[in-house]
Amino acid sequence: MLSKSQARLFYVTATVGFSGVFLLLTADTLRQVPQRSNAAQLTEAVVHGKDLWDENNCMGCHTLLGEGAYYAPELTKVVERRGAQWIKIFLRDPEAMFPGRRRMVRYDLSDEEIDALVAFFTWIGGIDTNGFPAEPDLAPAGAAPITASAVAPDAPEVFGAVCTACHSLGGSGGAVGPALDDVSERYDAASLRRWLADPLKVKPDTTMPNLQLSDADLDALTAFLLADR
Amino acid sequence: MHTLKFESWKVAWAFFATCMLLLALQLVYGFFMAFAHVGLDVLHPWIPFNALRASHTNLLVVWLLAGFMGSAYYIIPDESDRELWSIPLAWLQLGSLVVVAVIALVGFHFNWWEGRKFLEIPRPLDYLVVVNVLAFLLNIGMTVLKGRRYTTTALTLLTGLTAAALLYLPGMIYFTSQVLDSYFRWWVVHLWVEGVWELIMGGILSYLLIKLTGVDREVVEKWLYLIVGLTFLSGILGTGHHYYFIGAPEYWLAIGGIFSASEPLAFLGMALYVVTMARRGGRRHDNRVALFWSVGCGVLSFVGAGVLGFAHTLPSVNLYTHGTLVTAMHGHLAFWGAYAMLVFGMISYALPEMTGRKFFDSWVGEAAFWIANTGMLSMTAAFAVAGVTQVYLERRIGLDFLDVQDAVAVHFWALILASCLFTLGILLFIWDFARHGSPLGMRADSATGVSAPAPQPAK
Ligand code: HEC
Ligand code: HEC
Ligand code: HEM
Ligand code: HEM
Ligand SMILES: [Fe+2]
Repeated sequence: MLSKSQARLFYVTATVGFSGVFLLLTADTLRQVPQRSNAAQLTEAVVHGKDLWDENNCMGCHTLLGEGAYYAPELTKVVERRGAQWIKIFLRDPEAMFPGRRRMVRYDLSDEEIDALVAFFTWIGGIDTNGFPAEPDLAPAGAAPITASAVAPDAPEVFGAVCTACHSLGGSGGAVGPALDDVSERYDAASLRRWLADPLKVKPDTTMPNLQLSDADLDALTAFLLADR
Repeated sequence: MHTLKFESWKVAWAFFATCMLLLALQLVYGFFMAFAHVGLDVLHPWIPFNALRASHTNLLVVWLLAGFMGSAYYIIPDESDRELWSIPLAWLQLGSLVVVAVIALVGFHFNWWEGRKFLEIPRPLDYLVVVNVLAFLLNIGMTVLKGRRYTTTALTLLTGLTAAALLYLPGMIYFTSQVLDSYFRWWVVHLWVEGVWELIMGGILSYLLIKLTGVDREVVEKWLYLIVGLTFLSGILGTGHHYYFIGAPEYWLAIGGIFSASEPLAFLGMALYVVTMARRGGRRHDNRVALFWSVGCGVLSFVGAGVLGFAHTLPSVNLYTHGTLVTAMHGHLAFWGAYAMLVFGMISYALPEMTGRKFFDSWVGEAAFWIANTGMLSMTAAFAVAGVTQVYLERRIGLDFLDVQDAVAVHFWALILASCLFTLGILLFIWDFARHGSPLGMRADSATGVSAPAPQPAK
């Protein structure tokens, strides 16, 4: 049987030896991380975004790189999933995008801060994470995420980036608002444009948020929704 | 009349009392989080979920640290056979620890923190924590030195506490890269719970086993070296199980996988150790409840950390379970089994020794043990069902996060029920603590000049 001094020798050797190996591996990791994480694109805006992420403890509800809390969505690939434009609108008033669902804090972020957060998420999305998050391997075939081009090939980009999160067209899309297939029966160009520019002004108790769309987007959407199909 | 063996034990008692208070508060936050998960986030406008969570986990860490410190202030004088180097310093250290904890806790409610899981305490307070821990280490270090009785138990405890303090430092470095931030955060979080805290656990458990079962010191200490040897053999490179998917190199998948998968061996060793010693020991101490907690600690740490840790530590599994409620399941039983039960064991042993009130045949202590453990095992089951369902629906089938959360909400009702049972057990434990009374007003042997007589049971 092992003696006490042999046991102690085992303890000391294991500890010192593996601490050494760990330090060597850490040195190599530090060497590789800049390339794996596109450190060159670690701009001022990205760092500002990270600081905002830290200062507000967003990780106390969300996970990022799979680390954090289990109360709100995992955000590593959020830009890929939602698109920058959607995120910007969302961050201005999170509850408006998910009426009646689990609540996020409404931060009074400036436009510059929102841009910084989006830059941060974009940078995070580019990290080589060894395949995390994985593609759902049991997803039913054809359950690809809804994009504008999947809904209608002629839809303006903003439609897939923002509207399909809540509305469906031709049977696919979100179900927060009504389907948009027959909009032309109820709206003309002027009334539709007024609605899209500021729904709350038309109907103060509506749950469709003011999406702060640009004039160009408003024109494109109005034309698209009223077109014959 | 019962006298206290050491004046220093009064500080130990005060640390234990602090533990009880912070634990009770931790549970309150736990309930609020569970209610938020079922959609009743009534506090949201004032205390959003992230504040609840930071409070819940930081209170946990602080009460465990307070428990370790109290244990050290109890064990070190006993092993060194002398009072602490400086008793006033120990009181000051307790006071400042409480002050820092309260400031941090209040700060969380005003958005003053760092968004780094488990290390939310803001930087300026980190420095105060460091000073505080240095004062603590100085005190027990000097006591061991002056006592000149270098027992393995005391040394293991001292090494563990010192290493824990050192490992806090990498968590204070600022990085602009989230990847590196995360990389070094794990030096604190992982190397604490799966490294140096196990040393503390080994030290305290050994002390308890020697006292409770009368096993031979030589035998105990040989086991101790083997177990902590195994801990570091597997646990240091086992850190790699947190490096799979954060942007670190691919070789961590293999290294982290292999070494973390061997970590359960150390916990198995610990479980076998306490069970063997408890059965082998000749002398049987009257304090059955303390032995329950000690053996329970060995066994449930193996289940919570070893078995449930292993369940999601291989990269092929962790790819899907990473950052889901499966982690919360493991986190609860591992912290409970390994560290909460350890502190409870120490308190259950020390209280009668300190106060002279030996309620060994009362039902309260034993009921607290069984009810709290049944409650915690049920909570673990509730998290497990929620977690596995989440992994399946969200990560494998690809359903939307919020829809999946709605689908698992029912398991949070189960969690709430289980938590009520658990909390009942904890309240019984706290009641038992309270009815032992406090030793603060007692005279210590060092004051009366008597050298450590066997404590008399108070009738
Ligand atoms: C109190 C918890 C909480 C905090 C704190 C929080 N969030 Fe959220 N967040 C949520 C919830 C819940 C959702 C899901 C959508 C909803 O119901 O609003 C969400 C959704 C999001 C989304 C959209 C994700 C998606 O895929 O739909 C982004 C982006 C986001 N949050 C960013 C942030 C940022 C940045 C911060 C910190 C400044 C933050 N969140 C802080 C709870 C929180
Ligand atoms: C956060 C979810 C949400 C988003 C994003 C959203 N909507 Fe809506 N929308 C609604 C809701 C809810 C209603 C129903 C409002 C009511 O009746 O009060 C609605 C109503 C409408 C209507 C009127 C439908 C009818 O039949 O009367 C139109 C048109 C419309 N939305 C177009 C759009 C377009 C175009 C976009 C993208 C730029 C968009 N919506 C983005 C939620 C949303
Ligand atoms: C007493 C010892 C332990 C405690 C207290 C503990 C606690 C925890 C906690 C709180 C987390 C969440 C950390 C975070 O995300 O910030 C975690 C994660 C993890 N633990 Fe443990 N643990 C212990 C031992 C182990 C062991 C022995 C193993 C492996 C066999 C293990 C495997 C894991 C893994 C793989 C994760 C990552 C989960 C994820 O990807 O989300 N743990 N542990
Ligand atoms: C009343 C009893 C309790 C309830 C209702 C409860 C509930 C919760 C909830 C809902 C979370 C957050 C999960 C999320 O991010 O969504 C959590 C986190 C956590 N709790 Fe508890 N808890 C309780 C007691 C405890 C106890 C006694 C311990 C320690 C022994 C503990 C340790 C933890 C840890 C370590 C985490 C972080 C887990 C992780 O990040 O993976 N909790 N708890
Ligand atoms: Fe770990």
